[in-house]
Amino acid sequence: MESMGRLKIYLWRYWRLYLLGGLCLFGTATLVMWIPWWIREAVRILEEGGSLRDVTFYAAIIGLAALAQGGIRTYSRALIFNAGRNVEYDLRNDLFGHLQKLPLAFYQSRRTGDLMSRVINDISAVRVMLGPGVLNFVNAPLYYLYALALMLSMDVRMTLAALAPFPLLIYAAAKFRGRIMKASLDVQQQMSVLSSHVQENLSGMHVVKAYSQEKFQTQQFVALNADFQIKSLDLARLRGIVTPIMQGINGLTVLIVIWYGGVRVMRGDLLVADIVAFIAYLNVLAWPTAAFGWMFSLVERGRAAMKRLEEILNTQPAIASPTTAVPVRGLKNGVEFRDVSFVYERQSNGHPALEGINFSLPVGKSVGLVGRIGSGKSTIAQLVPRLFDVALGEILVDGQDIRKLSLRGLRKLLGYVPQDPFLFSTSLRRNLAFGRDVVSDEELQHAVSIAKLDRDLEIFPRGLDTVVGERGVTLSGGQKQRATLARALVMDPPVLILDDSLSSVDAQTEAEILQGLRSFLREKTCLIISHRISAVKDADEILVLDEGSIIERGSHDQLVERGGVYAELYQQQRLTEELEQI
Amino acid sequence: MADLSHPEEILGKAYDLRLIRRLWKFITPYKRLFWFAMLLLPLQQAFGLAQPYLMKVGIDQYIAQRDLGGLQTVGLLFLGALAGETVMVFFHYYLTMAVAQRCLADLRAEIFSHVQKLPMSYFDRNPVGRLVTRTTTDVDVLQEMFSSGVMTLISDFLMVVWIVGIMFYLHVELALVSLALIPPMAFAINFFRVKARHTYRQIRERIARINAYLGEAISGMAVIQLFAREEKTYREFDELNADHRDAYHLSNVYEAALYSMVEAAGSVSVALLLWYGGGEVLHGVIGIGTVVAFKEYIHRFFVPLRDFSQKYAVMQSAMSSAERIFQLLDTPVTIDSSKNAVVPKPFRGEVAFDNVWFHYKADDPVLKGVSFRIAPGEKIALVGATGSGKTTTIKLLNRFYDIQKGSIKVSGVDVRDWDLQALRRHIGVVLQDVFLFSGDIRTNLALGDRSVPIERIEKAAHFANADSFIRRLPEGFGAQVRERGSNFSGGQRQLLALARVLVFQPEILVMDEATSSVDTETEALIQDALERVMRDRTCLLIAHRLSTIRNADRIIVLHHGEVREIGSHAELMEKQGIYHRLYQLQYEREELKLAVQETEPKVYG
Repeated sequence: MESMGRLKIYLWRYWRLYLLGGLCLFGTATLVMWIPWWIREAVRILEEGGSLRDVTFYAAIIGLAALAQGGIRTYSRALIFNAGRNVEYDLRNDLFGHLQKLPLAFYQSRRTGDLMSRVINDISAVRVMLGPGVLNFVNAPLYYLYALALMLSMDVRMTLAALAPFPLLIYAAAKFRGRIMKASLDVQQQMSVLSSHVQENLSGMHVVKAYSQEKFQTQQFVALNADFQIKSLDLARLRGIVTPIMQGINGLTVLIVIWYGGVRVMRGDLLVADIVAFIAYLNVLAWPTAAFGWMFSLVERGRAAMKRLEEILNTQPAIASPTTAVPVRGLKNGVEFRDVSFVYERQSNGHPALEGINFSLPVGKSVGLVGRIGSGKSTIAQLVPRLFDVALGEILVDGQDIRKLSLRGLRKLLGYVPQDPFLFSTSLRRNLAFGRDVVSDEELQHAVSIAKLDRDLEIFPRGLDTVVGERGVTLSGGQKQRATLARALVMDPPVLILDDSLSSVDAQTEAEILQGLRSFLREKTCLIISHRISAVKDADEILVLDEGSIIERGSHDQLVERGGVYAELYQQQRLTEELEQI
Repeated sequence: MADLSHPEEILGKAYDLRLIRRLWKFITPYKRLFWFAMLLLPLQQAFGLAQPYLMKVGIDQYIAQRDLGGLQTVGLLFLGALAGETVMVFFHYYLTMAVAQRCLADLRAEIFSHVQKLPMSYFDRNPVGRLVTRTTTDVDVLQEMFSSGVMTLISDFLMVVWIVGIMFYLHVELALVSLALIPPMAFAINFFRVKARHTYRQIRERIARINAYLGEAISGMAVIQLFAREEKTYREFDELNADHRDAYHLSNVYEAALYSMVEAAGSVSVALLLWYGGGEVLHGVIGIGTVVAFKEYIHRFFVPLRDFSQKYAVMQSAMSSAERIFQLLDTPVTIDSSKNAVVPKPFRGEVAFDNVWFHYKADDPVLKGVSFRIAPGEKIALVGATGSGKTTTIKLLNRFYDIQKGSIKVSGVDVRDWDLQALRRHIGVVLQDVFLFSGDIRTNLALGDRSVPIERIEKAAHFANADSFIRRLPEGFGAQVRERGSNFSGGQRQLLALARVLVFQPEILVMDEATSSVDTETEALIQDALERVMRDRTCLLIAHRLSTIRNADRIIVLHHGEVREIGSHAELMEKQGIYHRLYQLQYEREELKLAVQETEPKVYG
């Protein structure tokens, strides 16, 4: 029921719409219910051989009521359905806002597709519950009570006779509801089996093709598909039985009215007008009766969906500003790592990714990080903007533990250029200006020229207004990396973190970029991670990492002289460069 | 019909018609069942529409005449009609769904098997998720079209025709009065359709935009957080979200208005009926029963009109799903066996690249005139720096991609003239990242070929040094492999991949050696297995192991998409060229490490 608690908040927010919609529903129901009554009056006049004027009077009333009903009904439906859409809108916004607060670790443990389907399908299920669901939930009892009261006031015995098949109807509804739910669950499950098969087949397409497995894969799919077809047909059979049974029972009530009513008309204690009115009321009740099971399934589906959404909404952001955050005003002294250790949650073996890392990055200085893949270089870079939090030790900015700082303030200090360049599918201009609200053309140009993106822009027919594809697919790897560098430079942050962010740029261009960056970096603080020695060799201090620990540190010359791992890497680097020039 | 002058409208109609015609092809195999289901429709409706007529007869002839026996007869007939209708509704629905499920299963299978034939370049461009959606969600939408879209539109139309016919049969003037509101209603519905078409399109566009934005924000969340742009992104999302809500608000108003208007028109028609019919009754022309029957017919007439908007929305989204599906089915299969494909016999494990040019993206050649020859049984190591074109070379051999210039011959025949399936059966491929399918080990080794006897699989596993760890598993060869083989170590997966090659016994082995390190014990097992797998086969290997290049007959050095050096290890080392440097870069360390390991177990204290 917890999930309903949160829903109530949304419902309350639109209580006016719901209340007004509810009143309109009441108005509509009133008019709907009185029309059969007036029909009865009109028919009674015909039966008793009255005047055409009186009949015309009732016909006019019915016509007017119908028009009024049309107007009010429009409002009732529009108001309630729109309220449902409003809740959908709020819920989607809230969910998006919450997702933005969740740390990287959350996204690494979930698949994008899975999250997407929650946000899309589950929200829509909640919306259906709060729009059409609410409408029918209000309407059905309203119609029943109204009709029952009017029918009873006409003739008690006739009402009881007409409603005699209703227990049968309720029994049938209850009996089939469970079976339909089970069958539709089976269908859903088989559908997810089917999609996983497709998913796996497509992910392993190179193996499928290399071993000519297309036929076998198709056979397997066809078998699963056949299963799905059988399960769907089982569901269709149940649904196919329920609808006509409901209709049939409704028809049965009409038959009772005609038969039993007819006998009583012959006896003279009932009018044909009463029969007509009874049939009209039963017609009105046909829809709420048929929709009975459907209504419950809407609510059940909506509640299950809300529960899943709650799971996300109730996930506490593991990384957030503390309640009394220290504001960040520029950088005065620098950044310091003190005895930092870190373990990735997803690493089951518990082997630390970083262990006992100590170094300082004073203002205006630069630190270079080198080491093999998996040595922990990127992890160090990711800890500074708190994409992850340290397990042990602390990272200090101007002597303050970063976990005590305002998260926003901290991140505004840092220009982080990630290894995997991510661009949004919009114009390059908007991508580069992503970090700021207003950017002048000059600032953009400056960043573009440092990142050596200017030559590429000349080739693009639309220059900065070129729209890049999803994740920037229309650009080459090097172009993407240089664009992400420019994006960070536009922010003009006091600290620049380059997380192997020029790996796809050729050595020549990289050298040019680093040359250009040097003047830009003069008064900046910089953490450079690279697999190329050339990128870090001018750093004030170079740290060599291996399996999460610093194994060598010092300046380039010191390290080369030492003849250790760094010197070996440097030697390899030179060979690679030679090779590239052949 | 004024909207027909609207070009977009005409185009839309023609297009929908074309889509429906294509969908019809999937129904064709079940034509009989389909027509049988359709045949039940008029029967079902006849049973349904007989009921108001029976009411008329009952009231006018028997109740009015106080004929109890007659009333009983009418009652029984009514019961019969009711039972008939119930049974017919069930069979019609069930048979329709049976046709729908069958032809949608066919459609799903066709999409799947078509996707199997698409070239690798297609999968490079299209994300897996999108293709999954085509086979599942989009087909599901089409099912809705059957259950509540096009089928009900047909039955609604038929129903309306019936009712009009009966009304005119019963009383022409009364029919005219009862149906007086039809022209303005038709006008209103058409107005709605034109309006709604636009709004529905808007809604679809906006929901697509929200989803795209959401997907992008989720995958780029780190960037948003790093730049502290949560607020800005939220505002943008809010804008899209609000646009979407507003479009729905509008469509809700349209739908509510249409629904209410039709309901109101129904009641107004009843009022008209009472007024005119009342006069006729009072003049003794008709009985009250006729008025009652007319009232019932009016009711049944307006229900389908009322639900029109829903059905229209279903049809619209079904059409766009169908459009997407057919677009996928129309994607040409560019790599397939040619009409006169051959299977050369006897097969010689001979490979020849002759001046091969290849690019993924125009103007960016990956291979520039690559030529080399591999004799049957020869072991070739392919070396080169990253980006030199090694991986591309092996992908071309089994025709994952077609080359732009030159020729690749296997057993003396151009790969484009080969029967594709046969070609690939002769070439065993082991890639760096070994892909295992979920299922058991046996299925993974035989890749689903049920005819492979278990003895052969066990023998292959034995030769590939994989049986020792397989036998340690509780279920042995029946052990389940989890998605992508995540329950096996990298080394075990490599051993399984080698065993797979031995099961299929291809004459040519192509391998991209894994770079990820495994423990020494497993490494020894892999090397031992690899030696056996390579025996008596033509081998083309992207070498990462020192032992592999040492054991190769010849080494081909690729550099920037060109073959720069060919020869044995000793020859190439002597040459002091690219290979010499590559060796120093990639393999010398390993050699040193091996040397150190032998004397002193630990390198760094």
